[in-house]
Amino acid sequence: MSRYLEKSVLELHELLKNKVISPKDLVEEAFLRIEENKDYNAYITLNKEEALKEALALEEIEFEEDNLLFGLPIAVKDNIITKDLRTTCASHILDNFIPIYNATVIEKLKASHMIIIGKTNMDEFAMGSSSRTSYFGAPKNAWDNTKITGGSSGGSATTIALRDVPFALGSDTGGSIRQPASYTGITGMKPTYGRVSRYGLVAFASSLDQIGPMTKNVYENALLLNVLVGRDNKDLTSAHKETEDFTRYIGTDVKNIKIAVPNYFMSDIVEEEIRHKIMEVLDELKEEGATIDFVDIKYLENAVTLYQIIAMGEASSNLARFDGIRYGHAKENPKNMDELYYETREEGFGEEVKRRIMVGSYLLSGENAKEYYTKALSIRDDMRKAFLETFEKYDFVLGPTTTTTAYALSDPMDDPTKSFMDDVLVIPVNMAGLPGLNIPVGFDQNHMPIGLHIIGRPFDEAKMYGLASFIEKKKNLNLNPKGEENND
Amino acid sequence: MTNYIPTIGIEVHVELKTNTKIFSPAKNGYGSGANTLTNVIDLGYPGTLPTLNEEVVNQAIKAALVLNCKIRKEMHFDRKNYFYPDNAKNYQITQNRTPIGYDGYVEIEVDGNKKKIEIEEIHIEEDTCKSAHRKDVTLLDFNRAGVPLIEIVTKPCISSPEEAKKYIEKLRETLFYADISDCKIEEGSMRCDANISLRKNESDPFGTKVEIKNIGSISNVKLSLEKEAQRQKELLDNNETFKAQTRRFDDKLNDTVLMRVKETGNDYRYFPEPDIPYLYLTDEMIETVKEKIPMTATERKKEYMQRGISEKNSEKILLNRAISDYLNEFLDTNIDFVIASNLLLGDISFYLNKNFKKLEETHLTKEKMIELVEKLSDKTLTSKNVKDMIEDLLETDKKIEEIIKEKNISNITDDSYLEEIIKQVLKNNQESVTDYKNGHDRAFKYLMGQVMKASSGSANPSLASKMLEETLKLDD
Repeated sequence: MSRYLEKSVLELHELLKNKVISPKDLVEEAFLRIEENKDYNAYITLNKEEALKEALALEEIEFEEDNLLFGLPIAVKDNIITKDLRTTCASHILDNFIPIYNATVIEKLKASHMIIIGKTNMDEFAMGSSSRTSYFGAPKNAWDNTKITGGSSGGSATTIALRDVPFALGSDTGGSIRQPASYTGITGMKPTYGRVSRYGLVAFASSLDQIGPMTKNVYENALLLNVLVGRDNKDLTSAHKETEDFTRYIGTDVKNIKIAVPNYFMSDIVEEEIRHKIMEVLDELKEEGATIDFVDIKYLENAVTLYQIIAMGEASSNLARFDGIRYGHAKENPKNMDELYYETREEGFGEEVKRRIMVGSYLLSGENAKEYYTKALSIRDDMRKAFLETFEKYDFVLGPTTTTTAYALSDPMDDPTKSFMDDVLVIPVNMAGLPGLNIPVGFDQNHMPIGLHIIGRPFDEAKMYGLASFIEKKKNLNLNPKGEENND
Repeated sequence: MTNYIPTIGIEVHVELKTNTKIFSPAKNGYGSGANTLTNVIDLGYPGTLPTLNEEVVNQAIKAALVLNCKIRKEMHFDRKNYFYPDNAKNYQITQNRTPIGYDGYVEIEVDGNKKKIEIEEIHIEEDTCKSAHRKDVTLLDFNRAGVPLIEIVTKPCISSPEEAKKYIEKLRETLFYADISDCKIEEGSMRCDANISLRKNESDPFGTKVEIKNIGSISNVKLSLEKEAQRQKELLDNNETFKAQTRRFDDKLNDTVLMRVKETGNDYRYFPEPDIPYLYLTDEMIETVKEKIPMTATERKKEYMQRGISEKNSEKILLNRAISDYLNEFLDTNIDFVIASNLLLGDISFYLNKNFKKLEETHLTKEKMIELVEKLSDKTLTSKNVKDMIEDLLETDKKIEEIIKEKNISNITDDSYLEEIIKQVLKNNQESVTDYKNGHDRAFKYLMGQVMKASSGSANPSLASKMLEETLKLDD
């Protein structure tokens, strides 16, 4: 069997157009690769039968030459609702849950004739930063299977890094797309809050959650975002924005662009090797005519604390619906209503989820709601303002995506605050509702990927892709952990 | 024996009349099969998000307007978190911090004195699903889940069970006539909770509060508060204390029954609903709603009384919205409203009730009604005639003239027929004829009565009177 899935989407499109290959070939190859890479534990549920059926059905309809995504396989994070396809959120409480509707993004993928290959592994209810809170065991890093792949969209990151499929969807509440993208050397975009409909994304923290694309390069990331966006009347927080071509700035240079680098992002909370790599990129950009200024943005160092309050508060309420009454796991033969509630949730949720529900409930209790949640919301507004002020003078804010590269799967999980610190650089972006993008810019001494974090103005994703693509081209890294790959 | 002053506050939940639910596109309806009016949003399905039905906001604005409330122009929704099987998401979307309406009032009249019952706030929220307890299982019907509600909360300013009853009656009439809700207590579209405490003097702090939940009818509002006041009075007289508690009214026992003692610190962990952005109401939005408010019950009553209808009958009309609406169609005409209202409250209502029909289902067009009232007014027809014609009037498109002919009602103005009757009456009542001729006016009235009786009431009275007089004169 020939192997095509390392190829670029443009090449795949040509091959499909010229009938050298069919969507069915790609689907079969994807499942073969997933089987070969089974040990990486990237998937919770595979959509084999249905995917093959859809691939065959595509042969019956006319090939859409203008649709670069036609017939291509995609993996979907398991907290995005897929009709008739098990959706677990990597939790025991939903491990038998077969939804009866599709998320808006799933409808959009289907309208583009993309084929859903399966549901990817993740932290339980997206709560974690290493995907190790998954009820189904942690996925592994494509570059080193003893290392974490990051989280919570860990399975999506792994499957893209391994080139099982060209596209994956992740979700990002406090870095859950960008941080695993950084750990695995792929491109991951958290769009502006409101850019992509959240309808059908199982809510973790409603005011922060956002679905985004994960791909092997920048251009393909922009292509996927093209079809995900748009106002959705089913989600009142989705923005009234027209669709646009996010690839339109790809190929432009960086002359005269203004870049701000927050001192906090380059402080000693970040490993020296990573700082060094980022400085290298900044110098290259300067050489190409960009202005680089080191700045202070207020409240950045408070972001994690604020995030914990808002995310856990909202989560404690969002996860209340899992009670064993209408769907999901339920305590068998409960003696009474209270036992049904207590035991269903005791059995169904993992430790981290329970911890966050409890802390969140505490934070919203009585006077605490004012003391913590309401105050956090107000400081969040200030933080957003601080970012927007920076964007009055600068086009982008840059820095590293993570403070370290991927660490060992066997590292202890006994410090619950550690996982938040993994996301210290990415969380501010969610708090401010801004778009954030990770692209790989190099490797550390153990050949683990290092990521650059590009933060843009609200709804400025297209320009971010322009800058990212410029850097990507300049770096021209081999990003296939299992071999050579040309990057065009 | 001490006299106590009761302090009463009332919370009313009203289901809003809308086509669809508050946060989902499912139909808002009553009486359908269980769980047929639901969708994934009402079921609290994972991943679903609420949308906001604009109709609901408009209805709530309308309620705030007719209840004389101030309207909050910048508002949001909040989550009220608690676990219960009828609460699909285990949180209810409501308005805790920014109720849409506040500082309003309803004016009532007790013993001829007017009093403003102050409204603390009106807020919008979603209804829960309906539970039915069967032996050892509980069945859930989600048709009601997400039905839009407004909750109307008074200040603790009601000082007697009678006032409480008057307030509920007035509130119901106001909301009903503004098309905000059908306000059917028995179907649960209007639900009433009342709280009451007693104290000796106005200057004393409020006494221990007892809440009476889910009062099932308007008359029970008064009754349950009276019973509860009596119960508390007896306890206080015996120097007994009691805890704040929730009770319900038991029809059979004719008394309130303890449901639960209030626990302190009921913590609903309210926080602003992140799935629904802030709402900004504009003056234009409020103005648009205002323009569409139908005539209120008070305005209607005033209008009717100005047109000569008695207060009692005016109130009777208001009890039947369809009749009032129908009557209002004639406000721009000059018909006799007394005759029209008598017809509507009398023969027409009687016929409709007997046949389980609605006024709007009949063939009584506006034109036909005008003609009918005119014919009664100029005495071409008698009320007895109308009784004979009623079925044809309401059930067919026949013209009134046609019906008169068909029913042979034309005889009433038929001179020869009347002449015959009069002759007969005079022949049988010679004594009265003599009395009349001797100048006893009363005898004429008696004879006239006999004529009407002989014609089974179908004679045109003025014509009959004229002819009787002439015949008597002829006799001379």
